Amino acid sequence: MEKIIEILESIRSDVDFTKETKLIDDGILDSFDIVSIVGELCDYYDITITVDMMEPENFNSAEAILNLVEGILDED
Amino acid sequence: MTLNSLAFLAFLAIVLIVYYALPKKLKKYQWVVLLIASYGFYLSSGITNVLFIMSTTVFTFASGLFMQRIRDKQQSYVRSLGDSITKEEKREYKKIANKKIHTIQVITALVNLGVLIILKCHGFLFYNLDKLFSLFKWDVSDPLMNLIVPLCLSYYTFNSIGYLIDIGRGKHAAERNIGKFALFVSFFPSIVQGPLFRYCDVGVQLTQEHKLNYDNIKYGAQLILWGFFKKLVIADRISAITAHVFSADFVAGGYNGTQVFFGVLAYSFQIYGDFSGGTDITRGAAQMMGIDLPLNFERPFFATSMADFWRRWHMSLGAWMREFVFYPVMLCKPVTNLSKKFRKKFGPHAGKIVPSVAAPFVVFFLIGIWHGITWQYVTNGLYNAILISSTVALTPAYNKLAKVLHVNTEAFSFRIFQMLRTFMLLCISRIIVKAPSLTDAFAMIKSMFTSIDLGFLFGSDGEIFTYGVDQQGMIILIAAILLLFVISTLQESGMKIRESLSRQNLIFRWFLILLLLTVVLVFGVYGPEFDASSFIYGKF
Repeated sequence: MEKIIEILESIRSDVDFTKETKLIDDGILDSFDIVSIVGELCDYYDITITVDMMEPENFNSAEAILNLVEGILDED
Repeated sequence: MTLNSLAFLAFLAIVLIVYYALPKKLKKYQWVVLLIASYGFYLSSGITNVLFIMSTTVFTFASGLFMQRIRDKQQSYVRSLGDSITKEEKREYKKIANKKIHTIQVITALVNLGVLIILKCHGFLFYNLDKLFSLFKWDVSDPLMNLIVPLCLSYYTFNSIGYLIDIGRGKHAAERNIGKFALFVSFFPSIVQGPLFRYCDVGVQLTQEHKLNYDNIKYGAQLILWGFFKKLVIADRISAITAHVFSADFVAGGYNGTQVFFGVLAYSFQIYGDFSGGTDITRGAAQMMGIDLPLNFERPFFATSMADFWRRWHMSLGAWMREFVFYPVMLCKPVTNLSKKFRKKFGPHAGKIVPSVAAPFVVFFLIGIWHGITWQYVTNGLYNAILISSTVALTPAYNKLAKVLHVNTEAFSFRIFQMLRTFMLLCISRIIVKAPSLTDAFAMIKSMFTSIDLGFLFGSDGEIFTYGVDQQGMIILIAAILLLFVISTLQESGMKIRESLSRQNLIFRWFLILLLLTVVLVFGVYGPEFDASSFIYGKF
């Protein structure tokens, strides 16, 4: 989880990712932030996040993002 | 047969009767009724149109099946090998199959898109080639000059491409029944002007059994009535002003900025009433069949930025673009790599600028093709892309400025300012595409900032009433727009109008519905102009 938070903070240092649970629903992150986050996650974990995974529920909180990454790692 | 005609209502009534009157044993063939109705509806626009839609249907259906067969074969082969192969080998098999699937998907999408581009852009292409080669005294004539663009080509082409991409991504399996797939491509209420939809959302609903449901009939009919109000009372009445202000004669005769603003204001209401009214009729008709079509408009006049506007206007096209163009472009390797380099070198915000420039330009280029490419649409696409990209790029500067000027960005007054600013930016966009030419568009936009003459609005000579809508017509228009505004404001505050209406007393409820019906019948504009082209988006 710490690594995910670190990646998220490198993109948006003004957001408290340990508390926010509606990052997309409340418009805190926009689609351009998401793309930056996806790029970092793919590089760090050596995974592929495809377009059909770009659902709000996958990016609403740091925990949701962690679940997404773990799900992809498990599948691989 | 257009959506706003009596013929359409009669047609819909017959389809609904047959659809729901099928005996229990035959209920599973309700979709066949819809397929026959859809082809009958489309046939009324000409046999050539039917041939085009049939060829797109057969080609896309066959490609989908082919893609599915490759995936099924790979999966059953891997299953048959059981645990005798490693995870890496399984992944390799999947990769090979996906590559083949991807190739078929790209070829089919390119052929479908190619037909769209050729039919929509040949005029633009040959016109410019002719201009270019005239420098060398060569004549280039357009060999496709007499070809008519099939009705609603963009809608069914985009739906078909979306279907293939979803199969490629494994979102759903290919449809194995060509009749059911043909219905997905041709579903008659939405074939004229959308909304666009996906096979996994609407395609599945189209072929399910649907029981007669009072709420569906009631809410569907109410939505149709509201659509007629927007189309006939607002859009068709106000269209006279638009036609007058943007006519070549009027522009050539000289004008001031107030007249231009009056014209573009009229056009903004016309296009909204026309397009969203048509969508309401479409969605209402589908709801009466028990089919839930996606929303296409969410009160775009309340948008606080251009990006917000595109989330509220033609939402199904926006969703299509976001899913199949915007995200893929933003996630493609060159863009993400460049974005990363920028982020590392110039900071997190710089990293956002790369995708924010790349994706909107591709999206708005495609939207230009969607509308049928002309220099005016190209310029308008560029204008929108620049606005959206620059919003992302300049956000930190805006935030700093707001801080320095002590602007409370949460205040209601600031929201009003944002809405007015967005509306002004939209007015410019509307003028770019509506003016007789691009040169005229620039001159008209300039006049809005340089030659304001309020005498036109308040002059005693009543000039304002000589633009196709007389004093009485203007009162009807203003009252209708006010009603639209009140309803939109209530919706914006979260109220579900039809549900809350159904909770009112029977007499009051019917009074309101009959009043709206009377308004449509008495104040709607009826005339010989009701052909297929009377819906602005029907031609796309």
